Amino acid sequence: MTHLVQAITLGLLIGGVYALMASGLTLIFGVMRIINIAQGAFLVLVAMLTWWLWHETGIDPILASVVTTPLMFGFGWVVYRLMISRIRGSSASMSVLLTFGFALVIEGVLNVVAGNKFRSATPSYFEESFRVGEISLPKAQVFGFLAAMAVLGALYFVLTRTWTGRAIRAATQNPSGAALVGVGATGTAALAFAIGSATTGVGGSILSVLYPFFPASHYDWISRLLGIVVLGGMGSLPGALAGAAILGLAETLTATYGSLGWSTLVFYVVIMAVLLIRPQGLFGAKLREDAV
Amino acid sequence: MLSLNGVFAGYGGGSVLQGVDLECGKQSITCIVGPNGAGKSTVLRVISGLLRPSKGEVSMDGEPIGHHAPDEILRKGITQVPQSHALFPAMSVHENVLMGGYLIRKDRKLLRERLDRVKDRVPIVAARAQEHAGNLSGGQRRMVEIARCLMLDPKVILLDEPSLGLDPRSLAGVADLIHELHQAGTTVLLVEQNVRLGLGLATHGVVMEGGKVRLTGTAAEIRDHPEISSLYLGGGAGPRVASGP
Amino acid sequence: MNRLRAVPRAHLAAGLCLVALLLYPVVNPWQPYPQAVMLLGFLLAIQASSWNIIAGYAGYISLGHSMFLGLGSYTAGILALRWGVNPLWVAPIGGVTAVVAAVLIGSVVLRTRGHAFVIITIAMLLAAQILAINSKSLTQGSDGITLDLPFWDRDFQNIPFYYLFLVLLVLTVLFSAWLRSTKFGTGLVAIREDEGKAASIGVNTTRFKIVAYGASAFFIGTAGGVYAYYLTFINPVGSFAILGSVTIVLAALAGGRGTLYGPVLGAFIVNLVSEAATVYGGGSQSRVLLFGFALVLVVLFLPRGILPTVEAWWRRRHPVDVEYTDQAGALARAPVTTRERAPAPAATGPEGAAEGEILLDVRGVSKRFGGLTAVDDARLTVRRGTITALIGPNGSGKTTLFNLISGGMAADSGEIWFGGRRIDAMRPWERAHLGLGRTYQVTRLFKEMTVQENVVAPLPDSRPRTMFAGGVHGHEAARARELLDIVGLGRLAGERAGALSYGQQKLVELAQVLMLEPKLILLDEPAGGVNPSLLGRLTEVIRELNDDGVTFLIVEHNIPLVLDLCDPVVVFSHGTPIAEGPPGRIREDPLVLDAYLGDDWRPAAGDGGPRTQGAATREAVQ
Repeated sequence: MTHLVQAITLGLLIGGVYALMASGLTLIFGVMRIINIAQGAFLVLVAMLTWWLWHETGIDPILASVVTTPLMFGFGWVVYRLMISRIRGSSASMSVLLTFGFALVIEGVLNVVAGNKFRSATPSYFEESFRVGEISLPKAQVFGFLAAMAVLGALYFVLTRTWTGRAIRAATQNPSGAALVGVGATGTAALAFAIGSATTGVGGSILSVLYPFFPASHYDWISRLLGIVVLGGMGSLPGALAGAAILGLAETLTATYGSLGWSTLVFYVVIMAVLLIRPQGLFGAKLREDAV
Repeated sequence: MLSLNGVFAGYGGGSVLQGVDLECGKQSITCIVGPNGAGKSTVLRVISGLLRPSKGEVSMDGEPIGHHAPDEILRKGITQVPQSHALFPAMSVHENVLMGGYLIRKDRKLLRERLDRVKDRVPIVAARAQEHAGNLSGGQRRMVEIARCLMLDPKVILLDEPSLGLDPRSLAGVADLIHELHQAGTTVLLVEQNVRLGLGLATHGVVMEGGKVRLTGTAAEIRDHPEISSLYLGGGAGPRVASGP
Repeated sequence: MNRLRAVPRAHLAAGLCLVALLLYPVVNPWQPYPQAVMLLGFLLAIQASSWNIIAGYAGYISLGHSMFLGLGSYTAGILALRWGVNPLWVAPIGGVTAVVAAVLIGSVVLRTRGHAFVIITIAMLLAAQILAINSKSLTQGSDGITLDLPFWDRDFQNIPFYYLFLVLLVLTVLFSAWLRSTKFGTGLVAIREDEGKAASIGVNTTRFKIVAYGASAFFIGTAGGVYAYYLTFINPVGSFAILGSVTIVLAALAGGRGTLYGPVLGAFIVNLVSEAATVYGGGSQSRVLLFGFALVLVVLFLPRGILPTVEAWWRRRHPVDVEYTDQAGALARAPVTTRERAPAPAATGPEGAAEGEILLDVRGVSKRFGGLTAVDDARLTVRRGTITALIGPNGSGKTTLFNLISGGMAADSGEIWFGGRRIDAMRPWERAHLGLGRTYQVTRLFKEMTVQENVVAPLPDSRPRTMFAGGVHGHEAARARELLDIVGLGRLAGERAGALSYGQQKLVELAQVLMLEPKLILLDEPAGGVNPSLLGRLTEVIRELNDDGVTFLIVEHNIPLVLDLCDPVVVFSHGTPIAEGPPGRIREDPLVLDAYLGDDWRPAAGDGGPRTQGAATREAVQ
């Protein structure tokens, strides 16, 4: 029983982190209908950067996100302006190919600069845990979870309560309509892309502590994140939360009661099972056809 | 007030507009009529800045605006209601109208005042405030679209085919609103396929064909001009269809 | 010589290349290295060409297509070990495994539109890798499987593999060309351009996509078996490499997605560049960077690919003038001819039933969007042989009702019966197969297709024979030209549909629906945005078709047109019909006048005809 509770708690903690990582992806998709395959590579890039900061200066990896988040915001903005904006108006599949290519570029550059080997940031509390009764909560995961929740809350606030958020939603739903009220489509999309990228600032920092990584790790990450987004329903933020929790649970439960090797596979099986019953994903919605 | 001088513009390679000259007087309702593909809607898109002219000049109160971005043109007091799909389908009616005030978002007091005034003028804004715009019918959407552009208290309103897909009843509502705006001192430039309707609403008329302006004059002059019926209406007096025996 | 000239230039060039490739090992037999480079080029071309079927024609991008190569390799390798046979003999079974996997995956993720597919393909590639690593008893895990060396003399080097891959490549291209020339191929392009519309003209989009995905896997799987034998070693990381998928995508994209020869051309280029990078650049590390940059650059600067770009350039240099104006061509059109519907497999009730019998019966159908009830307990019957009009204020739910009838949306409650069968739970294409056709308020033609392809695309039934009938030649194509003549646009058959005027597009859409041999056609605002001369032709065609037994249900705001053309007229208000009857009675029904036409519509003294405008307008005119 303790085993089970322990596994579920861990699964949910990890799920929170996954949710943060997937939120940027689903935001960018929801806003621009762009599937940013490079999101995984962004995460690994941040992880590498965090590791380097920690290694050189001893800054706490999760605190380092104070630096990496604005950095990734700027990075995302520049990437959008220089690259993604050029294919605006063409089909979503072109964005898949473009960002896929860009992911490879990042991987290649990391290969050249940092070498093809596993790394992991191990701050002092790395091995420590909080204990709640029988259950132990690894500090790193708890901190990661809390940071993730804080960022998700801020994201939600920005999108629903601010003019920036309103402009982003307007521009995504109807770019020419947005232009008519004075919302510059390119600027807004760049902003959305930058915010989506900025979420990897915290996500990547957490990643560097919780998981060993190397340049090609981004394939594993992006396929997990995409899995979450598909499972939850493309573009849905609550869907991403649910999908992330399911992935976290599937992984820890399989690792506890089965073997580590199969844990990711189980998640894919879950996705296929869900899609079999609900082709649009858990929270995927169908809009009125002639309204779009 | 608003004038176009020898404007050329188009999409991709071709030029839809082949040198358009146009003049809208202050407080007038000018209606552009003409067959499909004459470039009527393109004129509006050029004025509102959604499309840049490749040649020629657009000016507002004597000031050239042809190469301004859409938001700068909005600031000059020119707003456009396009043919269709202007709203944000997944946002509420309230939010849609609010977005019309995007440019004055810094001035909260003004924003609130304008919102209240728009609610008075266009009742549907208050009645369906929380409805998603995507769930509205065509006529309701058109009203919300117009309501939204009133948030900026515009000097010039560009209306693209206000009658498109509207039944006579909603149309009457839209027409009344246009008249009201006109009374209040707004300049209106509209494009209309339905000649009789368009010229009936307008004080001045412009006939376009093949990307050029063929005729201009008061609405009555245009309506009675002999060339109009042969050019556009195929000899009839109204937009008729082939009728049975 | 004349017959040779009739062959398109592209096929001629491809034939010449093939001859050169066939001769190459004969001319230069003892150099294994260039042969190896060439045969890897063939392998990539096989994959890119196959990928093109699902991603180029149907527009569903797969980023995990190298999975099928791995599946083929493993199938052939495992069977060869277990059965003690040469992997080459079981290579086609590898193809079958790939098809089975594709169909299974496809049946889960290709049922909906949208972007889940591309994502799942990446996930499945990685899942296949995990599976191969963990199923040790079958695959020997990460250690991989080692196969026997080729049985032929080492002197022959790679020559047998060279020809094997070349033959597979030729087969793949021929297969792809054949698919594209059928109605199935047209259907795939239709799906790429507008999936909802494709479904409404009888294209079983789910089945088409799954079949296309399966078809795109077979030759890769087969080639995988041959490739395993060529390498004599297979392991999970090498067989299910994501970089393999990248090269496939890059090759097809660079050459020209959706074209026949583009992917092949792209494959050779990518293969040569990649080879040069390995030789001069230093290892696979730099290949990741290279491919990444190449993919980014191609998407940004050559999104259509080499072949289409060159073709477009050629067309600009050698323009062909076509008259698009509405006036020309308004002169001639052929009289209406109708074709007998092939009997529907499960048709019930007597065919050719009596005129006046109920054809379409909408029983208490409702549809809500959020808090808004768009259609509220609607009841509507359309009798065979009539031209029934559906009029009513905007937002009264007419278009929504059309969508519910044609299957674009599902009703919340109520029943819809058509020709004696309940259809409300059917998919759109099933309804189309029963003889239900529709047009759209804003035309939805496949703009990148030619006008003729647009008209060929509809499928009147679900038989494979129809699905694989020729789309360019043969009786289906001939019928399409006939229909175009009926609407008077036969002249424009070869033009891009997007280049036509709006009114012409409306006529093409009508011809398209006629391809279904429909019993009932739903027309959504046929007159909207159409100029008077074309409108006259449209009404003429509708009348003639009606005389030939086709029933119409028309939503239209042009009241004179409705009153002139239709009988009976049904008036809709707030999601439900409020009046029905002959036009003369509807015109005077006080309920209708109040709900829809407004006071202005009451017949004025001495003026029998109604006016088209509402109250405010009328005032303005006077």
